[in-house]
Parts: sequence; structure tokens; C-alpha cells
Amino acid sequence: MTTRTADAVIVGAGVLGASVASHLARSGHRVLVLDRGAPGREGSGTTAGNLHMQAVHTKRPGQAVPLDSARFLPLQRAASDRWETLEEELETSVEVRRTGGFTIAETDEQCRELHDKHGWEAAAGIPTEILDGDAARAALPLLGPTVAAATWCDLDGYANPLKVTPAYLDSAARHGGRTLAFAPVRRITRNGDGWRVVAGHGAAERVVDTPVVVDVAGPWLGEIAAMAGITLRMTPVAIQMHATVRSSATMSHLVQHIGEGLSVKQVAAGNLLIGGGWPALSMDLAGRSGTSLDSLVGNVALAVRVLPFIRDLRLLRMWAGPLAATPDEMPVIGEVPGAPGFYVAGGTYAFTFAPLWGETLRCLIEGKPPPVDISDLGPGRLMVPAGGSARDNGLEQENPQDRRSKRC
Amino acid sequence: MTAERSAALHGEVVERDVVIVGGGPAGLSAAARLASAGLAVTILDEQPELGGQYYRRPAPAVAEQWGDHRPDGGRLIARVRAAGAECRTGHLVWGVDDDGRTLLASDAAGHPVRLRARHLVLATGAFERVFPFPGWQLPGVTTPGFAQHLAAGDHTTIGERVVLAGSGPFLLPVACSLIELGVTVVGIAEAGRPYRPSLRALGALGHPARLRELAGYVARLARARVPIWQETVVLRADGRDRVSSVTLAAAARPARPVRTVEVDALCVGYGFRPQTDLARMLGCAVRVDVASGDAVPVTDAAGRASRADVYVVGEAAGIGGVHAAKARGLAAAHDILTREVRETVPVAEVRRVASARRRLARFTALTDSLYPGPAALLATLAPALPADTMVCRCEAVRAEEIRATAAGSADGDLNATKAWSRAGMGPCQGRECGFAVAGLVRSVAPRPGAGDGESRVEVFPSRLPVRPIPLATLLELAGPDSQEGDRS
Repeated sequence: MTTRTADAVIVGAGVLGASVASHLARSGHRVLVLDRGAPGREGSGTTAGNLHMQAVHTKRPGQAVPLDSARFLPLQRAASDRWETLEEELETSVEVRRTGGFTIAETDEQCRELHDKHGWEAAAGIPTEILDGDAARAALPLLGPTVAAATWCDLDGYANPLKVTPAYLDSAARHGGRTLAFAPVRRITRNGDGWRVVAGHGAAERVVDTPVVVDVAGPWLGEIAAMAGITLRMTPVAIQMHATVRSSATMSHLVQHIGEGLSVKQVAAGNLLIGGGWPALSMDLAGRSGTSLDSLVGNVALAVRVLPFIRDLRLLRMWAGPLAATPDEMPVIGEVPGAPGFYVAGGTYAFTFAPLWGETLRCLIEGKPPPVDISDLGPGRLMVPAGGSARDNGLEQENPQDRRSKRC
Repeated sequence: MTAERSAALHGEVVERDVVIVGGGPAGLSAAARLASAGLAVTILDEQPELGGQYYRRPAPAVAEQWGDHRPDGGRLIARVRAAGAECRTGHLVWGVDDDGRTLLASDAAGHPVRLRARHLVLATGAFERVFPFPGWQLPGVTTPGFAQHLAAGDHTTIGERVVLAGSGPFLLPVACSLIELGVTVVGIAEAGRPYRPSLRALGALGHPARLRELAGYVARLARARVPIWQETVVLRADGRDRVSSVTLAAAARPARPVRTVEVDALCVGYGFRPQTDLARMLGCAVRVDVASGDAVPVTDAAGRASRADVYVVGEAAGIGGVHAAKARGLAAAHDILTREVRETVPVAEVRRVASARRRLARFTALTDSLYPGPAALLATLAPALPADTMVCRCEAVRAEEIRATAAGSADGDLNATKAWSRAGMGPCQGRECGFAVAGLVRSVAPRPGAGDGESRVEVFPSRLPVRPIPLATLLELAGPDSQEGDRS
């Protein structure tokens, strides 16, 4: 058994792990990324790849608590700028398409929400424009008759998650960062002022001493933190995505829905990707989560209502992917109180926020001020006091009230 | 909760004692036996007529002029219908409902149908095992199965001068069918060395009917002076608008040309792979067959899978030929009848089928031992595949891209290689290229990903839908409201 050292051990080679690895490696830190399987194959590798800079639905189907769009928007603004320069930074194409997007509304209530949202966006410096149904259809004739209004945002777009993560890992590797695939972390213990991380099995076992552990394990975030004795109220959930065969119709914009779980876009290869956070049938963190016919049928019916041309396509494939969810549906990012050197990041919008969170974590680790205010997003709010269990401490009673009042 | 939700979905729900997926020899044998015992049986097949690939019915005009090439198939189908089995042709079974047992199908018009049964018999057959080579996307390059399909169903030839290549006993009957249609079979390139003088000797032993059958084909080909080039593989196909020549190589040195032959059609196939998507989607356990590299459902002697209500029979349970498929179909029928009906199946009948099944399994093993195992062949062919060969034709992914992905961050993981290279992500859903992609991954990353059981299975995971299905079919399941596109 050889003990190695690293300046930072990053647990999880998803988009967040890859981003922070790249940021740290480029600043001269020796980083090691560990993943239980192939890099980028779980949460972020199964996601839709949307870059939504305007606010979208506040609740996906099955979601208990609405998102706090007003709080999010300044962060989205900051994330947007970073996507603008990402391909240059990574020295490769990751299929970033900033061709703009619509968030549509169908009912009167949704139209009112659209106007509220427009106000917050203006305040956050995100340019959006409100269109009535006919104007939206004039701009995107593929939109169906039920669309009553829409906001248009130039900054919306998407990127290919299957390219972003490898590109970040390659960038880290060019600066001396290392990635170990199929090396599940088994133990994390205090080691003097730092940490000792044990990963892999048998001959492939690695023992690494490091002052910094970054837990960006997505759906396994809570499990990894627990190895270090930290109990966080994180619940992995599985959602599902649907892809059609390639289509010759051209839809270059992202289309989302304000009131229901829907995101549709046509990717570079020509397939239509339909998602929106519909729940999967079952979650299986050890294997493959099960897809739900119910969600498929519901999501497709919604997609066809908003974009009728999809009706003529064929469904090619569907899949379910796990994601990390916090009880308040807000992202979590920061150092764990009482566990110096142990950082966590994850939760809502991790893909859109990956470049921003990578930079933010680097700043936190280097003791520099972060590029955005994340003081209220730290893991402290999710910590379970000794003796308590995650289930007894549902956050539903606390934060959402404060957050809602902020929205009104 | 399931019942509540299912009630919300639209479309017909069929309830039966037994639902059989696949109307080939195995499914038909099971259907005939079960229906004649009085059970409510539905048999589904994707094709417009029952029969499967082996008993493929000739088009009416063809049958009138040329007769039925396999009249026993017609008789078996007639027995199934006479016994009262409901025959749903033109039905594609594309998935499984959220309850884990209701099959999702669409009929010939694309309308959804859901089927539930106390016993499911999966007789989904096999698809051809292909391996790419430079030029395999040229018109005129196809599989032996397609050539056979044209010959049997339409009395049409794939070309005038044809080379058959690949491996396995199937190449021989295809060559004989083509010769009967007047085609010049320029030669047969067999990757192994199965055709020794000893084959005739084996056939002469009397009982292994399949070996005798093979020896018969060899003799017919000899009479027609068709050369069989053994230990020979396709190096590449050339042509402008269509294949005009094929260059062959020694199997041991697959990158070095030994012979170029002028052709107007080339058929290459390495036998068959069990079609197990539906079994896997139903949660039936599979094991990796070491010789073939395929995922094969785990079944008992009667074909019962790891799920007590599911049987996998015929080629879907492992390649064994028509006689084995029929025996397996009957064995499953006997098991169901024993469980379902109080009166037992006559002992003599059960014994006869069980002994036939065992005998056929031994013969299959013997025949298989004559040919190189597909996994071993793959280990030879994959490293020699030129870098710019198009491996995934749907998504235009070349060998070097797959190798680079597999050797890079995918670290030998088949699924990660698929996702990152897009190989296997097109409309054929990896049926065409899956075998080759798995071989390429292994050739550059010999260590399977540690710890994760799934990564050792050399097949892409089974996902709904089994075949691409029209979204309109799904909308019908969602109900009339979504048909209207109206919210109010």
C-alpha cells in the first residue's frame, strides 16, 4: 500500500468535479479526481445540457418545493458569462450553442408568472423580452396554438454534457491533474489537519493524504460526506430524458415551460431532446434507474402540445439519471462548518452552474473571495445535528417560507 | 397505485393466460400446444405474417409460381390458428409498462396495445452478427440473412456474382438457395476451418442430423464447383456506386490481402446473436456466454427465466437452430401446462421433448465446436480493423474514434464509450455495431472496469423503446386530450 499526496482530492468526475479539477489544476494545484465508475456517466452525463439563463419552471413534476427564481437569477447571470468563454478556455468545442430560448406560458396564471419572472430578470441584468402567443409563434412558427405568451432570452442555449465533462478533465490533465476511474471512495478520515482518502479495492487500492476534499459526487454527495462523519440532508432523485430520431426540421432555440416540466431542443446531431425533470420510475444508484412510461407519456404529450411538429417523429431512446436534490431545491456550495478542508457542491442547476461553481470552489479553497455571494448556499443549512436523522429534519418547515416571502 | 394509473392510460388491454412474443418456430410450437390444451393464448409478431425468419412465408405470387420452400412452416401456422390462438401479426412489442409485467405493443396501424398474461413466452429470435470492414456501407453489401429473405420471400436474387463470407453453418444453405436461383456463388469465405474430411465422417455416424445436413450442403456446393476458402475473412469491399470487388485475407493475418474477387454483391455474417432486449427489460437475469460474448438469459431446462412468469425460448435463449427452437418452445408449453392446468401432460410426450431437447443441445455444442467462437474471432478481427473504417453507420463513427474513447476516459467501459463516441446511438440502437464496438473496446482496454458487474456484460443495456416508435402511438396512450392539442 503506497500513500500518495495531493493538494486536493475531488470525489466525483461529473461536470462539477471536472470543472473544479480544471480550475485548481490550472492554478497549479496537484489534484486527483476519483470516480466510482466511468467519468461523466451518472448525474451530469445523463442530463439535458440546457443552459438556461432566464428563469424556468419553478416546479418540476413531483418536486415538493418551488425554486427561488429571484435568488437564482444573479447567479445565472454570472454563469452565463462563463459559458461565453468556456470553449476558448478549454481549447475545444463542447457544442455550446447560445441561440436563445423561449420560456412559454399557456394559462393566465402562467402568464402572470411570466411577467413576475421578467421583472426579476431585468433586476438581475438578464435581458428578456415578453411576447404574446402570436408574436411568439411568429418568431418560432413551430410553437403550437396553446402557447399564450413567452419570454425570449438571447443568452439561453445548451451544451453537450458528454463533451463538457471530458473537455474539463482533459484541461485538468494538461495541467498535471489526474483522474482515476472505477475507483470508488471507501473511507475518508481525519489525518492531522487534513484528510486521508481510501479508494478502490485490492491491488487497485489508493490511499491519498490531502488537505482538501471536494465532495461533488452528485447523487452520492450525502453518502461521501457521511464517510467523513458529516450528515447532510440530501436526497438523490432520478429523472428521465427522451430522445427522438434525427429530424430534418430545424429548431435552433431552447423551449421551456414556466408552469410544467418541459425542455425541448434539437441537438447538433439533429435529435430532439425532451426533458423537464419528469420523475423516473425507480432510482437505483448501484445500477440503472428505471424509466417510467407514465412520465414518458406525460412529457411527450406536453412536448407535442407546445411543439406539434414533434408528433411526426419517432422516439429513439429514453433514460433515467440520478441527481442530487436538497430539501429546499437550492444549490449547496461551500466548506462544511466544523470540517475544515471539506467542501461540498451540488444540487439544482449543477450543469448550468458548473463553470461558475468550479471557479467559486477554487476561490474558497485558495481563501479568496468568491465571484458571487454564496453565503446563504453553504452546507450548514443542510447539516443534521448529532443524534438527529435526515428524515426528522425536513427543511420544508423552515427555509421555503423565508424564500417565498423574498419572492413576493 | 398501478391500477389507478393504468386506468388513466388509454388503449386496449389484452388479458390472456399466455402471451407469446415472436411467431417463429419456437413461438409457434409453444402456441400450438398451449392453445390446443384450451388456454387463452395470444401470439404476436412484428411481421405481417407468422413464421419468423426461418418459416418466412413467400409472397402469394411467389408461392403460386414457385411453391412454398418450407411447407412444414405453413402447416404449423395452420395448426396454431386452428387451435384457437389469437394471432396478432404486424404487432411490434416495444416495451414494458411501469408495473413490470404489461407488454407495450403497437399494431400495424400504429395504435397502442397493452397485453397482460399469467405467463409470458419470449421467442424473440435473433439478429445477424455483423462485423464491419472498409466498404461495408457500399450498396450491394448485405448479410446472408437478407439474401436468404429475398430468395425465400420474393424469389429475388441479391446479385449475379456473389461472395458469401463470415462464419458459421448458415452460409452454406444460403449459398445453396442462391445457386437454385441461378446466382453464381463465386466462393464462400469461412473464417474458421470447419470443413475437414472428418465432417463427412461425422455425418456418416448416422445420428447427428444437423451435421449430416451440413455435409449435404457441402456436397451440393462441391457439385456446383463453389470453392470454400477456409480460414479466410473479408479485408475490404471496393466499388464506385456499388460493390464491384471484394478483397479477402487470411483469418490469422486479417490485414494482409490474399485474393481479390469481382462481385456485384457481397454477403457477410458471423452467425446470429440472441435478441434479448425484452427479456432484459423484464428484469430476467442474463449471463455472459464466454464463447460468443453475448448476453444469454439464464433459464432452466423448460426455458423458465429468473422471473417465474417469463420463459425465453428459441434463438432468444441461445442460438441452436430450428429443431432446438421447436423443442424449447414445446418444453416451455409443457411447463406452463403443468403449472396452469391440473391435468398433467402425458409423460411420454414430456420425455420425448426433453430428450430431443438434450440431444439437440449436444449437437448444437458439437456443431458450434467446428466453428471459431465469435468472441475469439472478435479478438482477432477488432485490432486489425483499419482506423478509418465506419463502424457505426447510423452515426458515422469510425474505429479510431471508438478506440480513442475506450482507451481514454471511458477506461474500457462499453457504455461510456457509446455515450462519448455516439457509436450505437442511432436508429438501429446498436444492433448492427454493438458486437464490433464491444470488440474494439476490449482490444484497447483489455481490463474490464473493476467492480461494476454491468460493465462486464458485452452488450449495450436494454432500453425502452426496443425499436424506435412513433410519438403518435404514445399520444394515444396519453388519451384523447393530447390528441386534440387542446388544453381548455
